[in-house]
Amino acid sequence: MKRYVYINDDESPTQDLYCDNRISNRKYTVWNFLPKNLWEQFSRFMNQYFLLIACLQLWSLITPVNPASTWGPLIFIFAVSASKEAWDDYNRFLSDKKANEKEVWIVKHGLKKPSRAQDVRVGDIVWLRENDEVPCDLVVLGTSDPQGLCYIETSALDGETDLKTRGIPSACTGIDSELLHKIKGVIECPNPDKDIRRFDANLRLFPPFIDNDVCPLTIKNTVLQSCYLRNTEWACGVAVYTGNETKLGMSRGIPEPKLTAMDAMIDKLTGAIFVFQIVVVVVLGIAGNVWKDTEARKQWYVQYPKEGPWYELLVIPLRFELLCSIMIPISIKVSLDLVKSLYAKFIDWDIEMFDQETGSSSHATNTAISEDLGQVEYIMTDKTGTLTENKMVFRRCCISGTFYGNESGDALKDVRLQNAVASGSPDVIRFLTVMAICNTVIPVQSKNGNVLYKAQSQDEEALVQAAAKLHMVLFSKSGNLLEIRFNASAIKYEVLDILEFTSDRKRMSVVVRDTRDDKIFLLSKGADEAILPCASAGQQTRTLNEAADQYAQLGLRTLCLAWRELKEDEYQEWSLMFREASSTLVDREWRIAEVCQRLEHDLEVLGVTAIEDRLQDGVPETIEMLRRAGINFWMLTGDKQNTAIQIALSCNFISPEPKGQLLLIDGKTEDEVCRSLERVLLTMRITSSEPKDVAFVVDGWALEIALKNHRKDFTELAILSRTAICCRVTPSQKAQLVELLKSCDYRTLAIGDGGNDVRMIQQADIGVGISGREGLQAARAADYSIGKFRFLKRLILVHGRYSYNRTAFLSQYSFYKSLLICFIQIFFSFISGVSGTSLFNSVSLMAYNVFYTSIPVLVSVLDKDLSEKTVMQHPQILFYCQAGRLLNPSTFAGWFGRSLFHAIVVFIISINAFAYEKSEMEEVAMVALSGCIWLQAFVVIIETNSFTVLQHLAIWGNLIGFYIINWIVSTIPSSGMYTIMFRLCSQPSYWITIFLIVGAGMGPILAIKYFRYTYTPSKINTLQQAERLGGPILSLGNIDPQQRSMEKEVAALSITQPKGRNSVYEPLLSESPSGTRRSFGSAAPFEFFQSQASRLSSSYSRNCKDN
Amino acid sequence: MEVDGVYASVDPTVVRSIPIQSRRQRALHQFTQQTLPACKPVLTPASVITTFFLLGLIFVPVGFITLRASRSVVEIVERYDADCLPEEFRGNKMSYIADSSIPKNCSRTLKVPKNMKAPIYVYYQLDNYYQNHRRYVKSRSDTQLLRGLQTNDTSLCRPEEFANGHPIVPCGLVAWSLFNDTFTFSRGASELRVDRKNIAWRSDRDHKFGKDVYPYNFQNGSIIGGGKLDPTVPLSDQEDFIVWMRTAALPSFRKLYGRIEVDLDMDEEITVDLMNNYNTYSFGGKKKIVLSTTSWIGGRNDFIGFAFMFVGSSSILLSLVFMLLHVKNPRTYGDAAYLAWNKKGISG
Repeated sequence: MKRYVYINDDESPTQDLYCDNRISNRKYTVWNFLPKNLWEQFSRFMNQYFLLIACLQLWSLITPVNPASTWGPLIFIFAVSASKEAWDDYNRFLSDKKANEKEVWIVKHGLKKPSRAQDVRVGDIVWLRENDEVPCDLVVLGTSDPQGLCYIETSALDGETDLKTRGIPSACTGIDSELLHKIKGVIECPNPDKDIRRFDANLRLFPPFIDNDVCPLTIKNTVLQSCYLRNTEWACGVAVYTGNETKLGMSRGIPEPKLTAMDAMIDKLTGAIFVFQIVVVVVLGIAGNVWKDTEARKQWYVQYPKEGPWYELLVIPLRFELLCSIMIPISIKVSLDLVKSLYAKFIDWDIEMFDQETGSSSHATNTAISEDLGQVEYIMTDKTGTLTENKMVFRRCCISGTFYGNESGDALKDVRLQNAVASGSPDVIRFLTVMAICNTVIPVQSKNGNVLYKAQSQDEEALVQAAAKLHMVLFSKSGNLLEIRFNASAIKYEVLDILEFTSDRKRMSVVVRDTRDDKIFLLSKGADEAILPCASAGQQTRTLNEAADQYAQLGLRTLCLAWRELKEDEYQEWSLMFREASSTLVDREWRIAEVCQRLEHDLEVLGVTAIEDRLQDGVPETIEMLRRAGINFWMLTGDKQNTAIQIALSCNFISPEPKGQLLLIDGKTEDEVCRSLERVLLTMRITSSEPKDVAFVVDGWALEIALKNHRKDFTELAILSRTAICCRVTPSQKAQLVELLKSCDYRTLAIGDGGNDVRMIQQADIGVGISGREGLQAARAADYSIGKFRFLKRLILVHGRYSYNRTAFLSQYSFYKSLLICFIQIFFSFISGVSGTSLFNSVSLMAYNVFYTSIPVLVSVLDKDLSEKTVMQHPQILFYCQAGRLLNPSTFAGWFGRSLFHAIVVFIISINAFAYEKSEMEEVAMVALSGCIWLQAFVVIIETNSFTVLQHLAIWGNLIGFYIINWIVSTIPSSGMYTIMFRLCSQPSYWITIFLIVGAGMGPILAIKYFRYTYTPSKINTLQQAERLGGPILSLGNIDPQQRSMEKEVAALSITQPKGRNSVYEPLLSESPSGTRRSFGSAAPFEFFQSQASRLSSSYSRNCKDN
Repeated sequence: MEVDGVYASVDPTVVRSIPIQSRRQRALHQFTQQTLPACKPVLTPASVITTFFLLGLIFVPVGFITLRASRSVVEIVERYDADCLPEEFRGNKMSYIADSSIPKNCSRTLKVPKNMKAPIYVYYQLDNYYQNHRRYVKSRSDTQLLRGLQTNDTSLCRPEEFANGHPIVPCGLVAWSLFNDTFTFSRGASELRVDRKNIAWRSDRDHKFGKDVYPYNFQNGSIIGGGKLDPTVPLSDQEDFIVWMRTAALPSFRKLYGRIEVDLDMDEEITVDLMNNYNTYSFGGKKKIVLSTTSWIGGRNDFIGFAFMFVGSSSILLSLVFMLLHVKNPRTYGDAAYLAWNKKGISG
């Protein structure tokens, strides 16, 4: 199975074999929409069930009511879902269209021409300019770089924001850009697949180009669709996979819809009701058949034939099946969808979650999972940009042993440093030079003469800005030549090589030639643990270490700067090796890293910079409040351990000694890690019973071992630990951690702001993106996007909690009302010869679900059990949502019992009050129906906590509406209930009966509710009482001591307290020299598809917590 | 339940940041911010105890009044199906009722227990008769009753749709099983006139049963069900038939037979001559003749009165229990001590 791509061959017949570059994310076309959509909807069990019911109703022998009473709602529900799908699909079509009509440059007949992206064919040569999005999968043939390299950003593919290098195949080296227009050849490549790590292909160029041998191609020679070309003037490549056959297109799938815990519970309850229904049907079916054979045959007026058809035994059970089908409310899905989108709107509208700074409001992209917000148990948070502002500011530095900025907190204002710069101290000048040059920042001259910097990395930008403020201005960069201006003089450097930053190397270097004296320098910067081991032997690195420590303790991000002068021949020799390594086909990254290391030694370390990343407003308060709400926090960061711990301390994440305790899992080898893990686990088991903040700290390397080899232990640790800090973790590890917690059946929320958080966000039950400075990627992938971290507390405590409460009521109420009317039908069957007669007529049955009972309950979306202020003061109350106290089998049993009780009340009273001469069928039916309507109105009233105008309007309006609708129907002579309602309403006995039903039905409910409310109050009740009666909690004088006393009990809410303590004491983390732990090249940056596979498997491992 | 005032939850800062706009806009803003003013009732002991007490205070008298009304109704119920069976057929009821040659007339004497004021309603009551049976209740065609033979689709009427190849008007089991016992009343020697007009609902006569629909091919099939209809009288005038067609929801039901427009005195004896035609013997049903006066709640029905008194007295009892509970074991509402996370802090 091979594909042969003829490069630049306009007449090639193979071109037509492959699809064009039209991207289509659409699920439907105009033609297949109806069948496909219907097919999809019917693949859901509920819908199949309702369809079956509706079809059975067409058989008039068994149908108790007009088929319209099921078909109407069914068609309505299907139409709603279908139009939602159609709308979504139309939007996808529009965005596809935009992508398809984007302008790209294609070579046609030897000439570069602009054309639309969708017109790219396999074999076409596509030219990309800097910052272009790649329209399809290309094999790079040429770039502006003399070495044939280009840089791409692959964040759309794998979520990693650092740039990656791609190179041209060896056969293409040295081909002039003009000739590239005419290049011909053939690429033999595999058929499209979705593996973005492999591309095993061969290239052969046709004469006049070098035509000696086939040249192997790897993934390193490709640029894939939706990547961006960066820092490269131009690149060109031949399209190999196009349209939906690209690597991205093949792996693209509609993301699996997230199912909330609540939906799962509702499904479970629906299943239970379904089983109950089957039991009822079987029992009544048998009873019906028995009654028919013993009694009904004697009843001459029924005229049962002696010999029935073969299906006769089935007729009665099927009738009961239809009669009981309303037990499962057909409207529940539509109602839930409706209220869920309203919850989402409330989030969008909330001005208290409006970010003044960026002018962006919060947004709920996923409208279906608001309830889950109220059930969050774990929050996995990124650090940079999430907890912090991600505004890097250069604060302090230590240059050759001198600390600057320690007093004022700002090195730029430190007079000593300014003096040193003015006096031209050589150390300081070199330090500044490295700051200004050793980076990939691109200076752009703006029109008014200022220099603006464009940088991939915020740190680099901060350094360059700081250098500029100290008069060392990075002025311009053109090609290999860069110019810096120090005071008035311009100095030009030629950039010879860039030794890129990778997360394994943790440092980057540039090799430059000073154009003034032709000296060659190696300038490096990187994490202290990456630079200091490379320092020259004689240098004292103690001060530097101390400086790095001191800065890290303050929560600053540190970078070491170093340099070395290179000998011309040393550089030349190395340069050859580097070039060779850069063009190797196997293990190129590893080879390059190795070669780089050969140059990066004997460095003269110039100093340490400290960059501050300020905490966002309100982060400590938010974290504290959410922790009091019983939510566990994990911090997953790519940053170094000390910085992470300091940030964690400063934002209440962990408590300082002696209240808090940090346990460290580390080790360089597997054994060490294992032992460390066991020790921590032991400590954790012992101390978990104490009200002490115990947190564990793990770094990426140890985490990898722990996840691979000691998954069980680590899982136990994860369950025991309320707080964890994971530093130096990769995007895929973040996702793995989320998945680990999910597999323990915890509700996880992942919050992040950058491309490296995307996978974690997608993996978590709820993904929250901060629309921050690292772009909108995270926000776009997330279910909710908010402007600031502090909005999270409102999102969870207010919106999540209300959504949970409201859905809990709404769903159970839906079952209650359906069961109520169904029970009445069942009871009626006992006095109608178990024959399956429906007491209610079709109009009533249909309107009962659609009009009479759905509107009052829909306004329960405005219900607030507690005011927002109270919830914020007592975040512990979230526990009720987390533990699912408001919707579970036992609460459901309560509602079930209530509907049974109400059905008995309504039934007994209606048939006794309207007995004998009043026992006309339609009248009895309407009395029973009115009884149901009144009761359900009062149930809504008794379960509503706060009445707004809308609630009054809906509840009373609904009752009036009920009578108006029935009066209208009663005026139609052909309807079954002609004049019935007028007749009833003019009888005093009707109103007396209704009064009796309400009194008898609601009295016990009120009594029970009052009893529980007063004598076994839940905490929600207590707070309600306090809030509304202005009890001691709300009086202002008491709030503060109240809260303080609660602080002590933070951990005690959900953790039991066995006695007995044995202290295995771990000191608060001291510095752990980490060094380079990973051998180069072992990292696998492309783990994009693992997450998908694991997502599938996660469902299997879901039941490890509860059982 | 006590309504403790309107809880104005509008945040002052919010109001300030939004300049005062029109009322509609402000209401919309309050809606989107979920800050609509709301009243939040609390179940305080006082309010709940009062509610139950008031409920009882209303229910007991209402029950008393309805019970009185129901008791003021004078009712004579006489079962006649068993007694009208001649001795020789006691063992074989079916042959008696199936044989049309046996005379079915029968005479019963009713004693008036109390003075009965006109109008006195005459009902016949059937027990253990399932007019609500699924097979039975569906077997009718309302369109045919209104339009007669013009109606094409009478499939619902099966198995009484056609007889001898011709459509039946009125079709269906309900019509076919029409009740056909007849009653004549006499007071001593003189006949007691029973008004048989206007016993059916006016709306039924005017709009549900056709004025020009005449019975056709009725009771001509192989099995004769119940009564026959006069083929010269339109359906809208056959009031017994119309009454019968109003199917009952319960297996025991009464249907109006007529009205006696004169008062009856206490201890008076009334003779009913009846034709015991209708077959309830095969399924053990009962037939009764009922004479009843009426009150504002209708006929005699003690259930409502008793139910009201029961609910009322239980709610007074409940209110007393709650009051006792409250006095014995008073609870401070909204006491912080009930919050578990505070409890420990307070006690220890």
